[in-house]
Amino acid sequence: MMQHCAPMRRRTFFGFGLGIGGAILLGLGGVSIATWRPGVVGGRLSPSGRSVFESVGRAVLDGSLPAESSSRDAAVRALLTRLDVTISAFPWPVQEEISQLLALLSTTAGRLGLARLRHDWPEAKIGEVQAALQDMRTSALSLRQQAYHALRDLTNAAFYADPTTWAQIGYPGPNPI
Amino acid sequence: MSELPDPIRSGLARGWRVHGGPHAALPQQVSCDVVVVGSGAGAGITAELLTQAGLDVVMIEEGPLKSSSDFRQRESDAYPALYQESAARKTADKAITILQGRCVGGSTTVNWTSSFRTPPPTLAYWQQHFALKDYDADALAPWFLQAERRLHISDWLAAPNENNELLRRGAARLGIAAAAIKRNVKSCWNLGSCGMGCPTNAKQSMLVTTIPAALDAGARLLVQTRAQRFELLNGKVTGLLCHPVRQDGRPEAAVPTRIVAKHYVVSGGAINSPALLMRSELPDPYARLGSRTFLHPVVISAALFDQRVEAWAGAPQTLYSDHFLGVTAIDGPIGYKLEAPPLHPVIVASTLAGFGPTQAAQLREFPHMHGLLALMRDGFHALSPGGNVRLRADGSPQLDYPLNEFVMDGARRAFASMAEIQFSAGARRVQPVHEMAPMTSSWAEARRVIAGLDVRPHLTRVVSAHVMGGCGMAGSESLGVVRPDGVHWQVENLSVHDGSLFPTSIGANPQLSVYGVTNKLATGLAKRLTGRDVRLA
Repeated sequence: MMQHCAPMRRRTFFGFGLGIGGAILLGLGGVSIATWRPGVVGGRLSPSGRSVFESVGRAVLDGSLPAESSSRDAAVRALLTRLDVTISAFPWPVQEEISQLLALLSTTAGRLGLARLRHDWPEAKIGEVQAALQDMRTSALSLRQQAYHALRDLTNAAFYADPTTWAQIGYPGPNPI
Repeated sequence: MSELPDPIRSGLARGWRVHGGPHAALPQQVSCDVVVVGSGAGAGITAELLTQAGLDVVMIEEGPLKSSSDFRQRESDAYPALYQESAARKTADKAITILQGRCVGGSTTVNWTSSFRTPPPTLAYWQQHFALKDYDADALAPWFLQAERRLHISDWLAAPNENNELLRRGAARLGIAAAAIKRNVKSCWNLGSCGMGCPTNAKQSMLVTTIPAALDAGARLLVQTRAQRFELLNGKVTGLLCHPVRQDGRPEAAVPTRIVAKHYVVSGGAINSPALLMRSELPDPYARLGSRTFLHPVVISAALFDQRVEAWAGAPQTLYSDHFLGVTAIDGPIGYKLEAPPLHPVIVASTLAGFGPTQAAQLREFPHMHGLLALMRDGFHALSPGGNVRLRADGSPQLDYPLNEFVMDGARRAFASMAEIQFSAGARRVQPVHEMAPMTSSWAEARRVIAGLDVRPHLTRVVSAHVMGGCGMAGSESLGVVRPDGVHWQVENLSVHDGSLFPTSIGANPQLSVYGVTNKLATGLAKRLTGRDVRLA
């Protein structure tokens, strides 16, 4: 099966062929297959995928997550659970692309090349992750912009799907029938 | 859950013949008179008319059969269950997000009910450039009229919600005309939840009109089943292979279902229909298949008002302005139609630009937020050739739609038009939905910002809810995939009845165009197959 074949996955890198993504990887001396870990396994975030999204979630939702730290941690855990639900509903080729993006971002070369983030995701400060996201967002490279939109849009979609987030934005929820 | 009557559950209890997913097991062999691939606008109209003619019809739908009891007005339910790719279908370079239905009723189950006849300038262009001599407004009028009667398409008499009223107010102060949009609703509760499936069955989608009529007349419906490929022999289709599919689109490891019919109608929508023909390697001597796929690329302008707008509440898109379709020639710089879309949390939070504290502050003003969108009329100029459908390695379709300077010039003009209208309506702030655009606090500032914006794809948020073309209809074999009667130019027992027929975009929300044109085509097909006259209404 293709999803268990790392070299095959690299050839279909992020669904866009080897163009820009390949150039980033080659410029950084390539990514060792040994460090390539899928970001999505069986429709759920893998540990490395969770690590990326936990960090991205705290950065994207800064100002929206609860201020108190244990409540904020619980909200991030709930976000990761809803991301699993969101991702598992996508068609298989889309899940594969998300998996590949997260896998790339979980490697040192990919994190530096694509996100320009110096510290690994769990250690990076919110401000550093926000700066990385902003750099991707306004990059001249389409692939970096696409990566930004995937991370940011998925985070927001999963977060605001939860009715407990609606009060803070003044949305009343479904009409009574 | 709604306590209202559910016509689908009632129909199932009456013994409708529905197979696949949680329903009766899929048979391995099916024979019938006509198989209809899809269950959206074109499929529903076709199935009702063909069953009326006494034909044995089988419909194939890749998505699930959901109904009002399931429609809880929650985006988190609706997008994964009812939309292609969880309402996040993307073009190949991910620059455009496409909203398209994937459930029984197709996009008609989740659309916002906007109903326009095909604009006469669009039809005139088809006559001139695609040899469609019978497609003029007068000739099509009876077909539209029947569809309007059948689906209760009529004037919306309730007051527009504030989101729409702001479009009218701002435009009027600038001397720009706005008018009311007809809607396909009956006893509408004015909830504003159309995009999540109508919980009261007021929306006269295919789900609650033509498909129940066809099932009551004995048609069969196969759900959660993908039409994989046609078998072809000597220029005729001899069978259709179908697979049960999981939610993630992968085929179940079951034996495929083979359907044999006298005639095959493809109504899977303007990405999936050409993809089915491509997977089947049907003849395409003039390289038309999958090409000229149009989207009405949409850009959005968000505004904040002092008063509450509550853009989620009340009927969506009840007013529009075609002013900016009329200021340039149809084959000149791209024109655009303005409408006011409904706003709900997931779609707003994933569509607006930005993140972090800025985003949090903006979303806290959600009740005061107003949205305008501009639908760009693509396909009428040599520099607007649309996109191409291609197949991924697993056979699933992907649309490649490059957003070139011609289209993005329209985006810039549309941002300016929308900002001017919003400020004219009294907006405190306006922000084009663009990664580099700041909140602006006056029309003068907005005009300056927009003139300097880098309107490239990815920086500019572009979405679409209208997919058209890819199996274009033409009066000459070299110009299209199907003939003016909807039959494939090279395959005599295969027809296309959906939005993929359109040789350009429509220049208006396309559902009534699909209903009207497929009404004409299906009535003709019923006559050819049975000799009987049928009528939609």
